[in-house]
Amino acid sequence: MIKITINNQEFEATKGESIYDVAKRNNISIPTLCHDERLEPYSSCYVCVVEIDGMKNLQPSCSTRVMEGMKIHTENDRVKRARKTALDLLMSNHYADCVGPCKIACPAHVDVQGYISLIEKKQYTEAIALIKQKNPLPAICGRVCVRPCEFNCRRNLLDEGAGVGVDYLKRFAADIDLNSDNRFMPEKNSATGKKVAIIGAGPGGLSAAFWLQQKGHQCDIYEAMPKPGGWLRYGIPEYRLPNDVLDKEIETITDLGVNIYCNKKLGDNLSYAELKNNYNSVILTIGSQKGTLLGTEGEDAEGVYSGIDFLKNMEATGQRADFRGKTVVVVGGGNTAMDCCRTSIRCKADKVYVVYRRTEKEMPANPIEIHESKIEGVEYLFLTNPVRVNKTIDGKLESVRLIKMALGEPDASGRRRPVEVPGSEFDLKTDFILAAIGQKTEVNFLDDMNSHTAEGELKINKWGDIDVDPLTLQTGIPGVFAAGDGVSGPATIIEAIAQAQTASRSCHQYLMGEEMSLDPEEFVSRKDHFSKLNESDFKGHFELQFRKEMPVLDASGRLNFKEVELGYDNEETALQETGRCLECGCSEFFSCDLQKYATQYGADQKKYSGMYNNIPVDFRHPLIEIDNNKCILCARCVRICRDIAGANALGLVKRGVETAIAPSMGDSLSHTHCDSCGLCISACPTGAITENFPFKPGPVRTDMFQTISPFGGLGEKTTIHHKNDFIFKTTGASGFVNPDTNIDPLAKFGYRFFNTSERITRPMIRKDGKLTKVSFEEAISFIAENIKKVKPEENAFFAGARLTNEEQYLIQKLARAGAKSNAVHSFHYLFSGKGYIHNSLKNAALSDIPQAASVYLFTSRLNYDNAGLGYTINNARRKNKLKVHLYLENNTNNVKLQHKCDEVHHVKSYYYFVKAANHYLLSQGKENMMYIEHHCKNFEEYKKQLLSENYNALVEKAGSREMIEKFADAYNMQMNSILVFAEKEISGNTATEIRNLAMITGKPGKIASGIIALKEKNNAQGLLDMGAFCCIAPGTVKYDDPEVLAKLSNVWKVPVASFDGICTADKLQQAQLKNLLIFGEDPVGCAIDKQMVKAMLQQSKFIVVQDYILTETAALADVVLPASSPFETGGSFTNSQRSIQSFEAGMKPMTEMSNIAQINALMKQFGIKTISENEAILGEASAFLNGNSLVLEFLSTDSDNYQPVFRYGCDVAMKYYYENCFLE
Amino acid sequence: MEKIKITVGLGSCGIAAGAGKTYDKLIEWQQDVNYNFELAKTSCIGMCFNEPLVEVSSNQGSWLYGAVDEKRMQEILNYHSIKNEPLTKYVVYSENLDTPGKTYFDGQVKIALRNCGYIDPENMNEAEASGAYNAIKKIVSEKLSADTVIQMVLDSGLRGRGGAGFPTGKKWQFAKSYSGDEKYVICNADEGDPGAFMDRSLLEGDPHSVLEGMIICAYSIGATGGVIYCRAEYPLAIIRLNIAIEQSRSKGYLGKNIFGLQGFNFDIYVKEGAGAFVCGEETALIASIEGKRGMPNKRPPFPAEAGLWGKPTNINNVETWANIPWIINNGPEKYAAYGTEKSKGTKVFALTGKIKNGGLVEVPMGITVNEIIFKLGGGIIGDKQFKAVQLGGPSGGCIPAHLGETLIDYDSVQATGAIMGSGGMVVMDETTCMVDIARFFLDFTVKESCGKCTFCRIGTKRMLEILERICDGQGADGDIEKLEELGHQIIENSLCGLGQTAPNPVLSTIRYFRNEYEAHIYDKKCPAKVCKKLITYMVDEEKCTGCTICAVKCPTKAISGEKKKTHFVHQELCIKCGACFSNCNFDAIRLV
Repeated sequence: MIKITINNQEFEATKGESIYDVAKRNNISIPTLCHDERLEPYSSCYVCVVEIDGMKNLQPSCSTRVMEGMKIHTENDRVKRARKTALDLLMSNHYADCVGPCKIACPAHVDVQGYISLIEKKQYTEAIALIKQKNPLPAICGRVCVRPCEFNCRRNLLDEGAGVGVDYLKRFAADIDLNSDNRFMPEKNSATGKKVAIIGAGPGGLSAAFWLQQKGHQCDIYEAMPKPGGWLRYGIPEYRLPNDVLDKEIETITDLGVNIYCNKKLGDNLSYAELKNNYNSVILTIGSQKGTLLGTEGEDAEGVYSGIDFLKNMEATGQRADFRGKTVVVVGGGNTAMDCCRTSIRCKADKVYVVYRRTEKEMPANPIEIHESKIEGVEYLFLTNPVRVNKTIDGKLESVRLIKMALGEPDASGRRRPVEVPGSEFDLKTDFILAAIGQKTEVNFLDDMNSHTAEGELKINKWGDIDVDPLTLQTGIPGVFAAGDGVSGPATIIEAIAQAQTASRSCHQYLMGEEMSLDPEEFVSRKDHFSKLNESDFKGHFELQFRKEMPVLDASGRLNFKEVELGYDNEETALQETGRCLECGCSEFFSCDLQKYATQYGADQKKYSGMYNNIPVDFRHPLIEIDNNKCILCARCVRICRDIAGANALGLVKRGVETAIAPSMGDSLSHTHCDSCGLCISACPTGAITENFPFKPGPVRTDMFQTISPFGGLGEKTTIHHKNDFIFKTTGASGFVNPDTNIDPLAKFGYRFFNTSERITRPMIRKDGKLTKVSFEEAISFIAENIKKVKPEENAFFAGARLTNEEQYLIQKLARAGAKSNAVHSFHYLFSGKGYIHNSLKNAALSDIPQAASVYLFTSRLNYDNAGLGYTINNARRKNKLKVHLYLENNTNNVKLQHKCDEVHHVKSYYYFVKAANHYLLSQGKENMMYIEHHCKNFEEYKKQLLSENYNALVEKAGSREMIEKFADAYNMQMNSILVFAEKEISGNTATEIRNLAMITGKPGKIASGIIALKEKNNAQGLLDMGAFCCIAPGTVKYDDPEVLAKLSNVWKVPVASFDGICTADKLQQAQLKNLLIFGEDPVGCAIDKQMVKAMLQQSKFIVVQDYILTETAALADVVLPASSPFETGGSFTNSQRSIQSFEAGMKPMTEMSNIAQINALMKQFGIKTISENEAILGEASAFLNGNSLVLEFLSTDSDNYQPVFRYGCDVAMKYYYENCFLE
Repeated sequence: MEKIKITVGLGSCGIAAGAGKTYDKLIEWQQDVNYNFELAKTSCIGMCFNEPLVEVSSNQGSWLYGAVDEKRMQEILNYHSIKNEPLTKYVVYSENLDTPGKTYFDGQVKIALRNCGYIDPENMNEAEASGAYNAIKKIVSEKLSADTVIQMVLDSGLRGRGGAGFPTGKKWQFAKSYSGDEKYVICNADEGDPGAFMDRSLLEGDPHSVLEGMIICAYSIGATGGVIYCRAEYPLAIIRLNIAIEQSRSKGYLGKNIFGLQGFNFDIYVKEGAGAFVCGEETALIASIEGKRGMPNKRPPFPAEAGLWGKPTNINNVETWANIPWIINNGPEKYAAYGTEKSKGTKVFALTGKIKNGGLVEVPMGITVNEIIFKLGGGIIGDKQFKAVQLGGPSGGCIPAHLGETLIDYDSVQATGAIMGSGGMVVMDETTCMVDIARFFLDFTVKESCGKCTFCRIGTKRMLEILERICDGQGADGDIEKLEELGHQIIENSLCGLGQTAPNPVLSTIRYFRNEYEAHIYDKKCPAKVCKKLITYMVDEEKCTGCTICAVKCPTKAISGEKKKTHFVHQELCIKCGACFSNCNFDAIRLV
């Protein structure tokens, strides 16, 4: 033990430990990007540097070993400055977007990419929940927002100026939510007792109320007009924003408990004195209400109005203007001008002109509005400006004098300044002029407030707007805040909403007595920081997908105020539009360490700007995506691929700043030794190596739960990341068999099956040849009826190796106690021969591998099917000099595994090879008699039997004599040698002979010695332990033992099926079974010979299949039951090593009744008492698991009996993996 | 006719200058009955600026001739053969003649280079006659213990000549202290500094001294294997090393039970490096030998603990190895008699740049910069103003003229901000722009950065970009400070020596020539008139004779003018190639 100090605190440490490790152990966090605890230190990022007294330079803590008396500083200014510089430098060559330009362009920073991802998954409520974090008015904004998101969308650069229809999508989701019975309702904090008065029920006021009410403050809105909505109601015409949409969306806010008091105008019929007494805070969201006129001579003529007054009056009075036979001139080029001209058309004007002093290109109005107005018949006079209003003698409008304009030099806004063309004046006769050229804020309550406040003063700025602190939006009066047009002057809805968010946060902080502060600014990497993107960045890299425009009312049907835009007609259109999103933002945004530290240390992407890498993203591998522009060259992927995966498929190329990660030889990763295991993804601290997702990953914040992988037999612990049960990804968690969190590719990518849209959720019964949805009740009683119709032994029950122990146990119990049939089995093991039962007995522990000297692999697919064990072996081979010998049978070959082994041998037959080795050892007297005598049964008999066989004949069938004897001697003599075999690739008899070999050499039970049997499926061992075999009962005891039967009857409190001695496989083949009940298996879909299996199953009269989707087997069934997944129910699996691992449910069930509930319902039909809790079921089963039922017993075999009938462990989910996510 | 011996210098430098042709001609003439001479070859004699060098010796003395092409060779040969006397006008050095080379040679003390230029490096007999393997034979015959040998190395005060100057004896002690079933000795022959070539000359000229040094180390630390990591760009060195290794093996100096010592098993092979500068760094060199990408690892563990294949390993540089046998033969005291208190012995320097006598010199430590440059080096070419000397290549820094009295020893040099390095000395005169020279060296390190650690990979690149901007006249206020800040951070936060020293040329030029940086940035001027974007070529109206040569030579037709009238440079067309300047016979092109 040595002593060191970190930040002046003393710690004990062990020699050889790194500073990073000691700090971490003592909860002192040191940032690092290149260090991965699964790998040896590398020290490239220099983010983990620390200062050590007496050392000139800073040192990377990950690789600096502690020394006695070392004094270390992990967070002083020098260290922080170095970290910041490291991050500045990394970011200066990080040509990537953390978030898309849409989100950045949106004043409220709505997570557009996130909600598009959710809409893609039809998660509309979730999408609305996400939007409402930043914008409480999606149905409104979905219709009338000015859409900076869309104008900044990169699709514009690809599809001829048509950004993604962000607003259309928002409206689509919002309308669904708004019209559902179950509208999204945000969670609300408990009441704080504080009250906030909000002046004005426009978008700003409504938004502020929405957020503050959620915080637990009572919000009351005072609105001057008769109805809430502000300009949303009184400015925007109904054909764009129908009042019922407005009303409904306002309702979502009042539903939170917000009160709106109309016809209350501050400074008029409402005094600040009243508010001051009753409220803790006030927010002024008064808008900019006053319209401005033309500012020319004669504008006082009758018939000249401000556009907004015109619109407002019409809405307020409910009286629509009648412009029949009249001419209307609208002056201005903004959206109000559009509203005026299009409304005028709807008021049946004869002629409507828009007079605008620049050209169409400079018009601030939304282009779609201009487009629609033209369709509706509006005429445009561009480069024209009014100079005078000509009126009649009695003051009525006669005509307007216009002058032609030309574009001059650009002004401050960058637009070319219009200048008058001398002598080009002309008069235009008109009946009305609607001036839509600006609005002003009118603060009528200044005196009222200032005379009633004790502290501070409300002020008006030089533009006539309310003066506020620009950061907090607090006015001169403490506790009074302001937001929206009243502060900024006329602006947009979304800007008002954004301001309301700031004001409500400040208000909340004020109410809670907190310091008013902005959220710390989050670091955002942007490609725009490097250069302006252009078409060439996209053309050729992405498919062209043109925008699906929204259906609109036919132009002829528009002389009314019906909504013109009709909304997407169906989900498909919406889905199509989501497909256009280029996903500019990084899929790893929420899990990126680089971004996290960049925020923490205030990195500046532009400080050291210069040359940067712009390397095309490598999408060539179907599962793994490489974006070198995000890479920080920590080489974690390269190292994990080399050291743990053993594939060495990735490397570094080039030098200096151009260094990049590349698959070996620069080829596609899929053409290298890559096993597609995904460990590289798990190692990347940023988004440079990610999963190549088959869906839009968002990124969205997901929920997580831990479970045991429902695929391979090792029992790896994983974390499932899901949103509303759609799984976004799976990552490794630290578990019993994978403490280092490494998971195999099945566990990594297999989840994709569970996102299937084909899940069955209701039972079906075949009626008139067609599967028809029925109730559970009907299905259950129909099944029970059919079971009872035939002789007990004519019912067969099949339990899948993917099912939980609890499910498997109940299925065999249903058979034996309920149906009184002992025909229980699993297709997983059916026809694959006897001999698998004892495989897991006294196996060497997986964690013993590093202590082993040699492993002998009798599996050609360790890098695929049991990659998790492969990782351990590779790592031990590198670190502990473990020797790996691979034996391949017949013509099998696997070059990707061979290069990870020290020796590769080809044998003719595993069975004869092992048997010959046994023969050799026994005939030479090389057996370990001391061990055998103490631990094993039946040796002499076995020996006699084996030695009676001809050695040369065995050798002949096995391979070369030399190879056999060399292997036998090496395995025998080496203290710590382990033979690893996969059940998937060997027969039961071979497994038996391998066990005989282990016993002959005296290995089972000793550390790092003997055998490791690998099961094909997550719970294949459960089938044996739970007794889902006709010949064995729970606890892996023989079912023919009367004592066993008695015990079962006793526990189950009913007589049980007797043992008829006929294997279920034989019964099936001989068509003795009338009813087949198949739980969690797809024997037809997974069959090697589908016709044969199909014919065999169809010999029976009645088939019940329980599965996730309508499998090929289910398609044959008379009754189909929907299966629940282990993610939905929890339970336990027993892995290849016989470790029982329980896990909790993490997702909500998709079926009304879980598998267990369904089995229990059937059980009830037979009067069996049911248990439904997982723990209770496992508890009952455990009574049979005494652990000693299997003994080391020599068994003779006569021949190899390897006749595989099924693939994929007979599981449709595993089948999906191998067919869709697996690359050999 | 007296028999004479003619020795031709056939190092890479000689061959490059045409010594091979001279040698071939001599073989031809040997058949000529008119001549009677013995022909021999040797390697680099050191005076590279006078290559091809040929030495003629007879009973009367020896004469070193410079720039001996075939024609000159025949003249010399005729003189000796017919007149029986030397042709003194071509003699560059002879003991009894006052030649330009006199000070060059007489100022040197040759320890490491003791045999270079004297023996035929491919001839074992010559090597042994010159004392090769005497040191290890002495150790074996006198049964000197490993500790005694290491003590001798320690006592000599020899420090690593590769650059860092770590005491060699200490390094051996460490390597000896770690146990391992196997241990290795590595010769670092990955000489990578631009302007340094002493290792190449040594390997080409006296490979056996390096092998012997390694064998002595193997004996001392208990190593079983040796590797010479030599860059593939040194083909002649590799050929001669392999010849030497083969010769040693056949003599029983390498292999099993060598020098008749039971259990003393040691062999050496040459590993060719692909020429990455970073592979001169110990850990990157080891990675490269192991077949990995040449990238450094954090030390500790030092190679002495876990080096090649994870085994204890001792790495020394070529020149260090060459010193070892001499120390054993002559005793450490004699070695330590040279030099200063903390820097003992001699050091080989490669003189390049704006210096008259460019080549290799071996001088005792403690000599001054001025002595080397003005005495041995003969001063600046064209007798221009000496401005500074870059020591230590791209990892080093400059010593300005006003610090010319700095002693050449590890500590004095370091105090100036430069480093001893491997001994590259690039001499600069008034026409060298210090910003440009800093840019040049940094450009080298940027390209040679392995890309592993952040500061070196990106930081040096950013510094280079700033320098490029400054040289292009785009420098901005604050750039110097930014260079200093970034430079210090890179030094503090880089994994290996490459990054830790990369900013040195920039920082040291800022230190001594800040005004030049400021002139570039604020006045948009390059005082040395090197940075193209900051200089203007103009015609001096008074001197121009209107000869039209400048207009003819200008590749972009940027100069116009009538015959016999003053010409004019059209600046918008000028690409600043300098063709007018160098072709004008009347000194009428001015640089502004």
